[in-house]
Amino acid sequence: MSMRTACLAGAAALVLTTAAACSSGGSSSPGATPSNGSSTSPSSTAAPVAGGSITVLESSGYAGAWTTLDPAENKEGAATQDFMTAIYGQLFELGTGGKIIPDLATGYTFSPDAKTVTITLRQGVKFTDGTPFNAQAVYSNWMRDLGPIGIKNGLNPPWLVAMQKAPKGSPPGTAEPALPSAITVTGPYTIVVHQIAPNGAFIDQLFDSIPNWIASPTALQKEGASFGQNPVGAGPFEVATNTPNDELVVKKNPGYWQTGHPYLDQITFKTVGSDEAAYEAMLANEGQVYEDMSTTQLINESQSHFTVDNNLGTSPYDLQLNTAVPPFNNPKARQAIYAATNFAPILQHLFGSRYPTTESFTGPGGICYEQNVPGYQGYDPTLAKQLIQQSGLNKVTIQLGTIAISTAQESMQALATEWEQIGLKVNEQSWPLSGLISAFEANGGKSWESMVQTAGAYDPAGGVGVGFRFTSGSPFSGVHDPKLDTLLGEAQGSTNLATRCGFYDQAAEYIARNYYGPFYFTFSPANISVHGVSGPGLTTPLASVAVVPTIPWEDVSYNPSGS
Amino acid sequence: MVLAPHIQFQGDSGARDRARRITGSPALRVVGRRLLAAIPVLIGVTFVTFAVMSALPNDTAQAILGLHASPSAVAALNHTLGLDQPFWQRYWHWLVNVLHGNLGTTVEGSSVNHELAIHVPTTLGLLLYALVVSVVLAIIVATLAARRPNGIVDRLSLVVSMLGLSTAPYVFAFLLIIVFAVKLNWFPVLSGPVTGPGSFFKNLTLPACAIGFGLFAIYTRLLRADIVEQMQREDYIVTAKAKGVAPWRVLTRHALRNSMFNLITVIGLNLGGLVGAAAIIETIFQVQGIGNDLLTGIANHDAPLVEGITLIFALVTVLGNLLADLAYAALDPRIRYGRSNA
Repeated sequence: MSMRTACLAGAAALVLTTAAACSSGGSSSPGATPSNGSSTSPSSTAAPVAGGSITVLESSGYAGAWTTLDPAENKEGAATQDFMTAIYGQLFELGTGGKIIPDLATGYTFSPDAKTVTITLRQGVKFTDGTPFNAQAVYSNWMRDLGPIGIKNGLNPPWLVAMQKAPKGSPPGTAEPALPSAITVTGPYTIVVHQIAPNGAFIDQLFDSIPNWIASPTALQKEGASFGQNPVGAGPFEVATNTPNDELVVKKNPGYWQTGHPYLDQITFKTVGSDEAAYEAMLANEGQVYEDMSTTQLINESQSHFTVDNNLGTSPYDLQLNTAVPPFNNPKARQAIYAATNFAPILQHLFGSRYPTTESFTGPGGICYEQNVPGYQGYDPTLAKQLIQQSGLNKVTIQLGTIAISTAQESMQALATEWEQIGLKVNEQSWPLSGLISAFEANGGKSWESMVQTAGAYDPAGGVGVGFRFTSGSPFSGVHDPKLDTLLGEAQGSTNLATRCGFYDQAAEYIARNYYGPFYFTFSPANISVHGVSGPGLTTPLASVAVVPTIPWEDVSYNPSGS
Repeated sequence: MVLAPHIQFQGDSGARDRARRITGSPALRVVGRRLLAAIPVLIGVTFVTFAVMSALPNDTAQAILGLHASPSAVAALNHTLGLDQPFWQRYWHWLVNVLHGNLGTTVEGSSVNHELAIHVPTTLGLLLYALVVSVVLAIIVATLAARRPNGIVDRLSLVVSMLGLSTAPYVFAFLLIIVFAVKLNWFPVLSGPVTGPGSFFKNLTLPACAIGFGLFAIYTRLLRADIVEQMQREDYIVTAKAKGVAPWRVLTRHALRNSMFNLITVIGLNLGGLVGAAAIIETIFQVQGIGNDLLTGIANHDAPLVEGITLIFALVTVLGNLLADLAYAALDPRIRYGRSNA
């Protein structure tokens, strides 16, 4: 055999192996049944079936990393919402269509001034250790969340309640917990929160936040430091085994308050290193659900094999401009950036136009969504060139930064490329979260010029919302405008949705007319599940609270034969 | 009673002789010297790692606590973690603790010793598995290839080796996953815990193959070239053949043994490079080893964890190279450490 023949034989063997490996489908994989390309499963409308178990894959970079399951000790925050909602349930759930669904709570009322919130709780509910779930349990959890333990772990939720003042000369880190009178128990199943300012967003702010998860006070006392490994709640599932950062197995809570729920007997949450590994594991039927797939090519590929649920985004990517320092303390320079940016082709090339464009801090899944804002400066290359000359932007190198995650980095690079074609010079930089925080805070907030970030939440007043990026008091804001602060404060202060949206519309227009920061698109990763799995957020879209939706696991079912 | 001191003396003398023989062993002296030389190496490696981790633009406490953390909470956690101390003080404190067997606490609050005790065996097992499989296969394939240079086995091995050299481990890992996990369902995509021999082979075979394929390619090409050179140029081979020794025996008993030196050297040098492979491959297969921990530690700016893992890998590299040196002597009786060549 000649050298050429041997090489050809080797090449042919490689091609055959690769072809076999890359051919679609897999007869051994129950999850690999090809669909008609639709992202909706045929079984999504089927009646839920009780029983069965599933494995849910979680990305090691987000939801798959956890150390403790104690709400107050939880440093991962909303990233661990899957585990938390399975174990603790929620006081209120954010349901399909943005509906507020009482879960362990039964209702709420605001006082006329929107300062006092009265919450009623579900009666007859027990934690899985047999102790009662009641207002006293919620009170002790909330005081813990708002007290030294929560503060020590950076969990001091942004509640507008009165805080105790640390004595003068106290060392850094001295806790400033909530005043005991900030929250009062007025009945066995009634609890009242007394806020120091009007806040109509209180219930919306509970979603995805630590105080929405109530732990058993008895178990907290009994388990002490080990509670985070052996948590006890009143949710639909209880912990069977827990290996942090790797695998959490939860089994059905037989005493769950909602008759017939949860449908599943067991859920295994398993950490996986990447979108690619998760996709292959799903093809091998080692997982039935993968949350938060963000790789566009794999989302497209998944549509041939699985149910792909595109949830409704609430958190748009925007460009923050630091109005405190040159060059963007000049409105003409800011307007030039608006006019120089055409995001539609970027969206098409990078993400296959999967995500909607927006001109404000809201997304289609959130309240007060406004896709087009009056006065928003659109793409106009001729005007951009004039403004660049007038503002002197052509004489400087723009410092453009972002967080070191692929979606943000790709968007930043695409923007820089587009701007460079119009005559701007750009220096790009990206950091992990801690580096990004340092970049924002360096030199009293005067070292950065522009940042590609996300701004928004289901309720603009919650999470990393508009206030986080656009108000004077936030260290992560480039805008210091008292009028905008007032508009956003008034929007948060009302309990009437129409009034609130009115203020938010004004704020969006104000931001646009002052060129404080262009908005681009509303990103929301997809949830992938094998056929036969059914539930909100998996087969019917849910709104994302911040970036991803909170799946109510008690409503998820799996019927392998139904696929 | 009179004899007792004499007996005692004899006893002392015997023990002293034995001790002298042991301590006088040239090989042992080499081991001792190399271990002593390893101390500054380990200090240097940990110092550089510590310096790099400290130089990164980050605030570890803020990274742990998130965007909403109050400045006071960040300051308190920095104080708890000792991150508000000067660099030298922190390194010295870490070094003193290491000498007392305490590698510190991760930023998540668990003991580094505990983390390493759980995860080091898995990673070492994985790397050893990859190394053994790649070396054994390389020896077999290289010997077969060298038996008939430019024959079909030689040429096929060249094609396979070129593939191994030109394919990144993570690409090969996904190819293995698609074929052996997705299509054939022989092995899992996601590794489970290693609890015994069965779970070891079930969970670590694909990761070991992903790491080992590139090594196999290097070792095969190297060893094949050395064997061919021995077979074609060395007088002792001609002598053996002239004496009527069977060709297969000449190849395996004489040429192969004398061709192993470069291979051993490269294996020793490769140990450090396996760190990177372990980190990437463990992440893909979700192997609960220290390679996975290393990436997590870097992402979290977890200096104690990264330091502990770096120390382990540095130790493995130093000891691996020492073993390689000792293997030279075992393979070639002419090499006697500590003696003059004259």
